[in-house]
Amino acid sequence: MELTQVRYFVALSRSLNFTRAAEACNVTQPALTRAIQRLEEELGGALLFRERNLTQLTDLGRTMLPHLDAMLMAADSAAALADARRRQPVASLKIGLAPGIGCAAIAFAIREVAAILPDLMIRFEEAGAASLIEGMLADMLDCALLPQDCDLPDRFNHWPLYEDRAVAVLPTNHALSGRDTLTADDLQGETLLHGERCGGFAARLETMPSTGYRFRRCDGATSHMLDLVAAGIGVALLSERIALPAQVTARPINDPVLTRTVRLATPAGRPQGAAVSGFIKLCRARRGA
Amino acid sequence: MNLQDMLDAERATRLVNEAVRAAYEETVATLNRNGFMPGVLAEEAQFPDFMLPNSEGRLVSLSGLLARGPVIVQFFRGEWCPYCRLMLDALVTALPEIEALGATLIALTPDTGAAAHDAKANYGAAFDVLSDVDCGVGLAAGVVFRLPPLYKARLITVGLDIPDRHGNQAWFLPIPAVFLLDRDGRVAWRFADVDFTHRAGPERIIAALRQLATPE
Repeated sequence: MELTQVRYFVALSRSLNFTRAAEACNVTQPALTRAIQRLEEELGGALLFRERNLTQLTDLGRTMLPHLDAMLMAADSAAALADARRRQPVASLKIGLAPGIGCAAIAFAIREVAAILPDLMIRFEEAGAASLIEGMLADMLDCALLPQDCDLPDRFNHWPLYEDRAVAVLPTNHALSGRDTLTADDLQGETLLHGERCGGFAARLETMPSTGYRFRRCDGATSHMLDLVAAGIGVALLSERIALPAQVTARPINDPVLTRTVRLATPAGRPQGAAVSGFIKLCRARRGA
Repeated sequence: MNLQDMLDAERATRLVNEAVRAAYEETVATLNRNGFMPGVLAEEAQFPDFMLPNSEGRLVSLSGLLARGPVIVQFFRGEWCPYCRLMLDALVTALPEIEALGATLIALTPDTGAAAHDAKANYGAAFDVLSDVDCGVGLAAGVVFRLPPLYKARLITVGLDIPDRHGNQAWFLPIPAVFLLDRDGRVAWRFADVDFTHRAGPERIIAALRQLATPE
């Protein structure tokens, strides 16, 4: 497959008009037609119906379009990133973070992008998954880290990035802080603080048969909840990736192991600047590693 | 035994299985028939500059490497492929000689995440393994093809999750072509074959590199 063939096909799929697609690609119409024919030979079938007044994608064309479009964008962004390294354009990276998801796991990718784009502006937005999805659709956000269980519209690409594991966060002087690991049973009788920023880990204990936990709802910033833990109001079940102040300590919970998958989501088929495409490629290249 | 002898022996063993033989023959025949080869970037052509992530989460740029000397760009399918494993072994062995000649070797795979990382870690490879995410650079080099049905079915049967490894549902792979780029990024020499069991052994890459260093 050749880059120009794919570029012509993607342009033609947008305009469904050979003349306009040829103009958009700055080639003659016969050259565009030949390139499309060669792509069709290679992919083993017609990509378009050509009728007198009507050009339409075939089933094969519709199936192949998103894949070829993604490949074309990957080729263009690999070149754009190399070019950005020379030109250093002003760029921004707007990343949504769903409740309880920190940016520690993606900081390396931001570092790499910032190294080639010194003027990079970074903005994080913490909000519920639905609001982040809306933000991405409205082009206010480039991408977002979301829990695996939220519904995404079809026109999003998404990749599992990492497994997030729950730890019990205790005051340093808590009786259980002397233990290396904990089980759900160890937490019986404790007050479990839970809220929107907790990743839903505590809620999963609620559904377990044993019922010796007391739950206290506590919404707001994670730092506020950590202050309450330090004051001895209760124990919080949080992501192991959250940085803790000195007055509290974390212990892994081994039985049951509470995990959730965090994924990276971004609207499909939208042109992205070098910073965004570079960031997403870095995250995809490193996921789970 | 040189690399191609080992690849030939590997192929002979594997093609005893009829399903493997059919999938292999279909792939080679399809690419021979459908005009694939003329699309591969030819000698004298400019290799487009690119920047891709390596398996350690760093961005690597071709022009950055070219500033140090010639660059060898080796495409490979992934560590799941037994022929690629033989090739990676041979490249690891040949790397000191390649570097002594002032060149940099990079290996590009469409695999992402742990799959790409393993390809480097399991071979103790001192060269960079880059994730060619969504086969973008492979497309620019003209080495990417869509897996024909039998081959795709074969990979599914043996439990290989290509969509998970690539992070897309496209089922594209590169032919394992290798490009030697001079310091200006032009293709000084290349090896490309639609048969993924045919590869340029390191001795051929090194001979091309010597030729580039001291043209006759």
